[in-house]
Parts: sequence; structure tokens; C-alpha cells
Amino acid sequence: MSRHSIRTIELDPRIIRSALIGAQVLALMVYAMGAGFLFHTNGGTLFLFALAAPLLIVAAVLALAGVAIYRYFRRHSLFAFALFEPGDFLVQQGDQADFAYFIQQGEVEVVRREKESETVIARLGEGQHFGETALIGNAPQHATVRAVTRVRVAMLGKKKFHHMLRFVHPAQGDLMHAVNQRARKQSAERAEAAAQIREDQIP
Amino acid sequence: MTSRGTQHDIASERWRSLLLRFVALSCWAGFPLITGAQQSAFQQDPVDHYGSRFLAIVIVLGITLVLFSLFRYRGVDAGPTSWALLIAGAALFPMILSGVGNFLVFERAKTVQLCGSCHLAMKSYVDDMKNPQSNSLAAVHYTNRYIAENQCYDCHTSYGMSGTLEAKEQGVIDVYRYYTHTFHLPLKLRHPYRDRDCLKCHAEATKWIAAHQDCQEAIFAGKMSCMQCHAEANPAHNAVAQELHP
Repeated sequence: MSRHSIRTIELDPRIIRSALIGAQVLALMVYAMGAGFLFHTNGGTLFLFALAAPLLIVAAVLALAGVAIYRYFRRHSLFAFALFEPGDFLVQQGDQADFAYFIQQGEVEVVRREKESETVIARLGEGQHFGETALIGNAPQHATVRAVTRVRVAMLGKKKFHHMLRFVHPAQGDLMHAVNQRARKQSAERAEAAAQIREDQIP
Repeated sequence: MTSRGTQHDIASERWRSLLLRFVALSCWAGFPLITGAQQSAFQQDPVDHYGSRFLAIVIVLGITLVLFSLFRYRGVDAGPTSWALLIAGAALFPMILSGVGNFLVFERAKTVQLCGSCHLAMKSYVDDMKNPQSNSLAAVHYTNRYIAENQCYDCHTSYGMSGTLEAKEQGVIDVYRYYTHTFHLPLKLRHPYRDRDCLKCHAEATKWIAAHQDCQEAIFAGKMSCMQCHAEANPAHNAVAQELHP
């Protein structure tokens, strides 16, 4: 399993291209009907131009408007959305951080790899987020994140994330609180593990 | 990189030049066809005269924009220029064409040429109307120019907006029947010919009043119909449909 099976929730560019070419072909048909009516007026050409051409124009305008609205929302949308299948890696330890991830659906596990061993350090579910620490520190990812179930995430790009931190103060507070809590929990777990080791070493 | 850019520029320039030639050729070839197709010079209808020229320009420019956009961008919305071409070629110009074109549709839908264009069903009626030897009412009205133009429309369309709309609605049905060959000969009117469609012109005419002194009250009262006298002995159209399909 790898990141190849990511399915971003976006329209296939081929669909957009077909819609745009289709709109232009419809427009050409309208022009042909108009020319037919102008040059050779009879019942058929008049009927086509008066009744069929407006329907084609409506279809062409709808196709153009659909693509334009889609493009507008894609450009102005804060988040990109993606689907991951179980076993897919959302983030690889050591990779450059590009996004902060907000889980909308499903469950992931955060895995820390050290030498040959692999330790699951956390399981995150709906409403939780990850990847923001690396973005704040502008550091590589400190752990790998793997999908346990089918996962849908909202991804916030680096630039937008920093804008959000700068301008939306409550979000900054919430994120820092979550990061602190996570760090505190991890250090408590580490301390507990160290105490356990010490206890085991006492004869 | 530079040479690829230059090649691209040359190809683009070639397309632009070809399209400009297409526009010029279309305008040169199109105008005489459009203007010659309609009416004689002394009868020019300004709506048809200027409307057809305007629409020809819209069509040529629209086709040029769409073709240029298709060949230059191949369906990819690459930026403001491609969107401007898309909107102009695939939405704006077709809307102008359809919007302005409908004025022309309403004008041309009234013409005798349009009625006569359904050759199998209507041409014989139109031929009879235009025949100076014919004694049918339609021929008498036409050859004497009692009705200046749009003779079919004037006699077969009732008063006002509702009459026009009714005629358009029936016209659409007629076109459908003609092209699907679901009409029957000889053609029959959908309803008995209305007296008011004769009286809208004749009721005030001194010649008609003089000729109908004995029956005009009955006609105005709806007790007598024009067709009682004019259907058989002096028909509106000679029975040309039967001649076509004996």
C-alpha cells in the first residue's frame, strides 16, 4: 500500500475539458442553425433556429457556468479533500511537511519508526488533526500516519495554514492547546515507559 | 525553449491569419446571398435588411472565436483570455444570435415564401395564389395586391397577440407534421374559416358593403357565414391538393 491509491475529491480534468469542448460544439451547432435559417429560410430551418437553438444555448451556458463555478470554488476553497484506503500512508516520517490534515471520517494510526522497530504512538479519529506541528516548526514529519479504515481528510496547505494562524487567533489558540496536550500525553507515556524499564531492571 | 516558443508563435500567427481570411471571405460571400434571398429592393423590410446583416456578422465572428479557441486552447481553460473566448464564442454570441434572430424569425415566419417552403403540402396553394389566371379568392387578393405582403399570414391569422401566438403554435405543429410526413392531403383547416378574418378588412369597404347589402346584417349577427357563398362557387383556393394527389 502506498500513497498512489489516494483519491482526491476533484473532478477529472477530462470531464472539465469535455464540458468546455462540448459547450463550444453546441455553440457551433447554434451558429450552423442560424446560418441555415439566414441563408435558406424554410419551416425546418426556422423551427430549428427558433426552438432547438435556444435549448442548445442553455446547455452550453450551463456547461460553462458549471465549470466556472467549480473553478471558483476550487480556487477560493480553504481546504483540499482526499480519500485514503486502509493501509495507505497519509504522511511519511522524514517527508517535507506540506499540509495540515483534519480527519473528517475514519481512523488513522501515528507510527514512529526507530531503527528497525515501529511503534504506534497514537490513534486519531474524526475531528482530530495532525501534521500541524511540522508545519509550525517548518520541520520534516516526525512520524508516519497510516489509514486504519477508509479515511476522508480535509487538507490545509502550508501557506493557508500560516495565514490562518496569523489572522484567526482562536484557531491559533486551539491548535497550540491541542499540540501541547499531545506533547504532554506523549511525554507522560514516555516517562511511564521509562519507569517501567527501571522497575524491571531492579533485582 | 526559445525556438519552441518561436514555432508556437508562427503556428499561432498562421491560425490567426487563416481565421481572418475566413471572416473576410464569409462576409464577402455571405452578404449578397442574404440580401438577395429575401425581397426586392423597393420592398426592403428594415428588420430583415439590417437584421440579417447583423446576424451574419455575429455568426462569422462567433464561429471564428469558437474555432480559434478550440485550436488554440483545445478545451483547456488556461486563463482569462481562454475564458473570455469561451464566454464570447460559446455563450454571448449565441445568445445575441438567438435573441436578435428571433425578431427575424417572427418577421420571416409571416412570409409567403416560408409557407410555400413546405413544398409537398403548401406549394400548390401558393402557386394557385400567384397564378394571374386563377379565379380563387387568394389569387384575386394576391394579383390585385389587395394585401401588400405576407398574404397567407394576413388571411390565416386572427386578430391581436392571441391570434399571432395561435398561428405560431399551429405553425410548429404543422412543421412537425410536414417533416414527419404525418399530414393528410387534401389539407383541411383546423376549424371553419372565421368570418372575422374576412371582415377585419372588408367590413368597412364601400365595395363590399354595396355588394352585401342584403346579407351584411345577417353576417354581422353571425347568422350567415362568408363561406356559405364563397366556399364552392368562389373558393378561397382552387382544389389544387386533389390535382397533386388524384
